[in-house]
Amino acid sequence: MVNLDASKLSTRELNNQIKEFAANGVETITIANPAARHNIAVGILAECDLQIEGSVGYYVASLLDGPRITIDGNAGWALGENMMSGSISLTKNAGASVAASMRGGEMFIGGNAGARAGISMKGGTLLIGGDSGFLTGFMMQKGRIIVCGDVGDAAGDSMYEGTIYVGGEIGSLGADAKIEESTEDELIEIWNMLEARGISERPHFRKIVSQKNLYHYDGRERHERPLI
Amino acid sequence: MVFGSNQIWAPWTVEDIHAKADLGRYRIRGMSTHQKVTHFDDLTFLSTGLTRFPLEGYKEQCNTAVSLGGLNAENPLELSTPIYITGMSWGALSANAKTALGKAASMIGTASCTGDGGMLPAEREASDKLIYQVLPSRYGLNPNHMATAQAIEIVVGQGAKPGTGGLLMGVKVQDDVAISRDLPIGVDQRSPARHPDWLGPDDLAIKIEQLREATNWKVPIHVKLGACRVTDDVKLAAKAGADAIVIDSMVAGTGASAEVLLDHSGIPTVPAIVLAREALREIGLYRKVSLIASGGIRSGADVAKALALGADACAIGVSALLALNCNRDIPEANFEEEIGLPAGQCNRCHTGKCPVGIATQDPELMKRLDPDAGAERVANFLNSMTMELALLTRSLGKGDVRSLEPEDLAALTIEASVMAQIPLVGTNKVFGT
Repeated sequence: MVNLDASKLSTRELNNQIKEFAANGVETITIANPAARHNIAVGILAECDLQIEGSVGYYVASLLDGPRITIDGNAGWALGENMMSGSISLTKNAGASVAASMRGGEMFIGGNAGARAGISMKGGTLLIGGDSGFLTGFMMQKGRIIVCGDVGDAAGDSMYEGTIYVGGEIGSLGADAKIEESTEDELIEIWNMLEARGISERPHFRKIVSQKNLYHYDGRERHERPLI
Repeated sequence: MVFGSNQIWAPWTVEDIHAKADLGRYRIRGMSTHQKVTHFDDLTFLSTGLTRFPLEGYKEQCNTAVSLGGLNAENPLELSTPIYITGMSWGALSANAKTALGKAASMIGTASCTGDGGMLPAEREASDKLIYQVLPSRYGLNPNHMATAQAIEIVVGQGAKPGTGGLLMGVKVQDDVAISRDLPIGVDQRSPARHPDWLGPDDLAIKIEQLREATNWKVPIHVKLGACRVTDDVKLAAKAGADAIVIDSMVAGTGASAEVLLDHSGIPTVPAIVLAREALREIGLYRKVSLIASGGIRSGADVAKALALGADACAIGVSALLALNCNRDIPEANFEEEIGLPAGQCNRCHTGKCPVGIATQDPELMKRLDPDAGAERVANFLNSMTMELALLTRSLGKGDVRSLEPEDLAALTIEASVMAQIPLVGTNKVFGT
């Protein structure tokens, strides 16, 4: 176990040390005094447990492949952007674009998430304990977003595939999105996930999926018809 | 003829209206704009006479090597020639085409670039120097791949279709291409126009720092802009921390775009370079932040003129594909039968039925492009361009392409004089000042 004090290190030094310790097999790294700084724990491509003791800024725990990260506080924009694998757990609220283009792994937001949660998501699971903002799941491609509370306007706009489960109210649907009822198996799986996180409520989740009406252009030009 | 030589209702306008009346939506095609715009042909070099003496055109040493993006990066992009191959996606292009382009760049000592579809492993293997693009779609973006790159390029916009995202028709979203992009097979892919995680230039500064952290401050971070509001965009990109700015003009190519964007957005390459140069100069970053020009670069003369106007390097797309055999009547192909247009007129990259195996994902068509033979042709072309560039540079009495400057040029038209800020031939007058 290694303890790092962010107040005594530049972001560059901090990330270098995290990468070095992770590559050398240090299992647990704690970071004290993050002071809402941006770009902490970026590009970590090895497995390790990383505990950040306080609130963080933009792009924290992004471009990851492997680490398990816990953050005790709030986070700015783009937490966990493009995560390939591993996990992120945030105790409080996340800013805009949480899990943007996430490709794998699991992310848990204890509080609320801002606009564009799960935008361009390509895999994995994003679980939001509270509410989620405008354009949740915008142009989502794969994976699942679970919002225990309410979701804002234009939910699931232009999504290709993937599922947004909503336990509360849906502000409005985005282009080409539709609401479906969740199956019993889906509900049980989500409730079990909530229970594992210490959440006792069992909301009746509805799900937002793509209508798939925007998959294709309507017509082809005369010269294109024999070709495509 | 009812319309005869009517300029407003020209035959192609009539055809366009008929096509849209059938179609009910905007038209889509590949290649580049059909607009007539001021270009490098409207400039000429003032080679040596009695005021300067030339270097031996065919023999004396002339440096063509350039170093790009050294402002913050530990390892700038070192190229043997100021010409590299621009980002074109694996998906828009076949795997064989991407591999051939990477090989050709490596043969010459220059770079190639990924595109809106992630990194093809064979392309990485073929490319000694690979620029890794970070696009709004983030298709196939993998930090493990990013860590192997020689430069990172954040794509804000593309000259052929600024203000919108990529376009790939379902016929090309197949098999590994669909898997790499995490898209349903066969979907008409319309990529996002905005990045998912940042919106304005203040956010971009944090994004650039993120990419530096992900790559340990080793490689340059480029920002690619579609040339529109060049002065402000270039200043904002430089202020956000870009090591290099790629300015991609309205004459740049594409594998697929709405025709209305190709023909009615952006500005030409010549004024784009000049505006970018002046923007960087104004904030004290000219020749510190590298300036890369792209859009309609066809020859060593175009490169020389771009450099003289202020670019540090040029990126090529369409001309590299032409060298690869695009629009060439090869024995295996029958253009008229297979694509409905003769060789030399094809702009139907978006249909995926490329008769020469470049802009296709059809395994049978792909076989028509041998990556090794293709690489040799593109390497020959890069070499030819570099020799033309060096020849012109020597004729101006200079032994280094980095010494080319605006006063080496004269404008052949008033429009070129205005846009290039170069005197019109036969006068000492720079029009528009």
